[in-house]
Amino acid sequence: MPRKTKDSEIVDVSKKKTVAKKATTKKVDTKKKTTIAKKATVKKKADSKAEKKASVAKKTTAKKVTKTATKKTTATKKAVAKKTTATKKSTTKKITTSKPKKVVEEKVENTVSSTVVTNNLEYYDLPYRYNQTIVKVLAQTPTNLFIYWDISDADRENFKKQFGDNFFETTRPILKIYNDTMHYDFEVEINDFANSWYLQVNDSKCDYRVELARRPIYNNSNISQDYIYISSSNEIESPNDRILFNVDEKMVYFRNVKTNKTFTKSFANLSFIRNMGKIYNIYDLYKKIYNDGDLDDIYNPSSRFF
Amino acid sequence: MQQKKGYVSFVLHAHLPFIHHPESDDYLEESWLFEAISETYIPLLLNFQKLVEEKVDFRITMSMTPPLLNMLDNKLLQKKYINYLDKLIELSKKEIERTAGDARLNELSKYYFDRYSNDLHVFKDVYKCNIIQGFKHFQDIGVLEIITCGATHGYFPILYVNEKTVKAQIAVGVQTYEKYFGRKPRGIWLPECGYVPEADKYLKEFGIDYIITESHGILYADPTPIYGTFAPIVSPEGVIAFGRDIESSRQVWSSINGYPGDFNYREFYRDIGYEADYDYIKPYIAHNGVRVHTGIKYYRITGKTEQKDYYNIQWAKDSAEMQAGHFLDSRNAQINHLADAMENPPFILCPYDAELYGHWWYEGPYWLYVLFKKVYYDDCNFQLITPSEYIDKYPEMQVCSPCRSSWGANGYSEVWLNPTNDYVHRHLHVAGDRMCELAYLFPNETGLKKDALNQCARELLLAQSSDWLFIITNGTMVDYAKKRIKDHIGRFTKLYNQIKKDEIDEEFLKDISEKDCIFPDIDYMLYY
Repeated sequence: MPRKTKDSEIVDVSKKKTVAKKATTKKVDTKKKTTIAKKATVKKKADSKAEKKASVAKKTTAKKVTKTATKKTTATKKAVAKKTTATKKSTTKKITTSKPKKVVEEKVENTVSSTVVTNNLEYYDLPYRYNQTIVKVLAQTPTNLFIYWDISDADRENFKKQFGDNFFETTRPILKIYNDTMHYDFEVEINDFANSWYLQVNDSKCDYRVELARRPIYNNSNISQDYIYISSSNEIESPNDRILFNVDEKMVYFRNVKTNKTFTKSFANLSFIRNMGKIYNIYDLYKKIYNDGDLDDIYNPSSRFF
Repeated sequence: MQQKKGYVSFVLHAHLPFIHHPESDDYLEESWLFEAISETYIPLLLNFQKLVEEKVDFRITMSMTPPLLNMLDNKLLQKKYINYLDKLIELSKKEIERTAGDARLNELSKYYFDRYSNDLHVFKDVYKCNIIQGFKHFQDIGVLEIITCGATHGYFPILYVNEKTVKAQIAVGVQTYEKYFGRKPRGIWLPECGYVPEADKYLKEFGIDYIITESHGILYADPTPIYGTFAPIVSPEGVIAFGRDIESSRQVWSSINGYPGDFNYREFYRDIGYEADYDYIKPYIAHNGVRVHTGIKYYRITGKTEQKDYYNIQWAKDSAEMQAGHFLDSRNAQINHLADAMENPPFILCPYDAELYGHWWYEGPYWLYVLFKKVYYDDCNFQLITPSEYIDKYPEMQVCSPCRSSWGANGYSEVWLNPTNDYVHRHLHVAGDRMCELAYLFPNETGLKKDALNQCARELLLAQSSDWLFIITNGTMVDYAKKRIKDHIGRFTKLYNQIKKDEIDEEFLKDISEKDCIFPDIDYMLYY
């Protein structure tokens, strides 16, 4: 159930955004059918994976004591993730794993909503929500996105006005993920208790954006369409996660940073390239260290005071 | 003598989050700065000075982050550092008496007495309480290149959903640098080496030539850089990127067989703060009686055993010298292997946290000193260089877009975005948007409103520090980090509401302006 907040903050900017983005709804509708058709198979997969992930997630939280422990669990997690991706390739470019994220940990603290300042003694809590309609997507890794969202009270009321008081009870929330580089999309079912989600995607180095929407679960005579757009996220590019090896291009572009002149050199004239064995050796060394080395050894120890 | 065929570039990233609590002496976190001054910053300065006096031509690059500079320049923290040293000197005097019956321990307690007394002398008499001047001096004479960093070490790959907040991090980083060093920085250490191409245009706008990236920032670039990390690349927008060399980094900080693990080196975790009789040590540990590190440590790593042997200064020096020789030989071999295959001489970038040297690896600054001497005097095929000098010598470089990356565990954003700390980001994003909203609603204000708007910018920047997220992930001092996020977001939000209602509480503003006094010259119009 949507929660109301004591904090009656409304940011106009987000409202405008929501209205502006509504135009995209049409586009969504055209893609809708294919998505539904694929959904059944994908959902099964997602469920089994969600279970697997849950066990991994447990491990990760349990072992946060030392840095080494954390990293080792991350490694395990990665291994599992790899497996799942492998099994999935046969199906579609669809969602692989999704993991619901519990509603903000700070909940307890938010029972106190205002600031107390007595004799320069300050105490603050983070507001539970900002009462704005928003969807944001961030790249945690090349293939893991983090999405958070909220719907403002005003927008909630508008939906109820338009689709009936039981709009939120008769529809379920979904996230629709668009890969704008490879031109596909898929959706994940979320729930009304979550306000953020981690989502695994198949393709690194791609542009992604996410739509928050709802689909009807019960017959509701007020709702004629089966996809109700709520809001759209920012667009991000997920990081690259491999050596591209696009050295088969014939020319290499150089720039003199003093004169700003750009020029090309043919691969044939580059001594390093003439000796291809060496370039691969360097990268092989890199890959070797990354794959069989202890991860502790690869990344910065972040040797700070804490 | 061998012909010089390549270059090695050391970059030390000196950073601590802004920790300043005029309201209380009870914050243990304030001592991070004092430990870093005594264990890292002063030893580095002393070793640079020694090299200069011995006429050794060396080059090193350091990023000094804006929060660190603001703290080093802060009168109250300078005073507190002197108190910290006074206490340590008093304790080491007592230690000399207490250990009179044990010659080896006694020698070590005298060493600590001398060392901390010398720190006090250097700090007060040589640098007049401001060691920034020391670093500036070495930059001015051309052996040290200082680069800047994001204003409060905000992590760009998450902040950039509101690009203006990244722009402000860069702008304030550059302004702070100019204030302390009297010129513009040529390079920047991106906080956590977090690279996003969206920041390039702002880096260019503020005159930054180059950035430091993690290895895969270069290796996974598009198109693939043909020289790997051994030559810089330039992004389409004109930002030059240097990538960390894998082999040399690993030799220094590998937790398993890295140099700092040598059995003769000082054991970090055995400190008299934890071991001495409680009543005896009580005046020198935390105010609330919790045992903490004092800085006086008598043991060496010894081996994989709990039975530690006493620290022996000469043995530790011997190990540092041996390892410096090993590092030199390894770079020689590496450069020999690479040089023939490249058009320009290979460039080996060795970036580290500065605090690794001295704080964690007590002998680190000495190791650097020995290494630099060896590079100068021994038969070796490379020279030390700064990134700027390399750019000036070899300005032709391949055009590639560096890969979005960081130097945190697994190379992307997991350290700063995971289930332990992800709740923070929506607050940081909203505060960033609100700061822009304030600048838009109230441009070019004067008087009290301007002060309030500037304080809002400071609170936002302090909340954005990547350190809080890192600490939460790391699981140490979590309460402090969470409190800092709440305090800065809380203060920001309160001021934001007051400004919008035109009801600024002057008392409140004065109070938080004294606490969060970073960037006295900030101009909120950066967010316009």
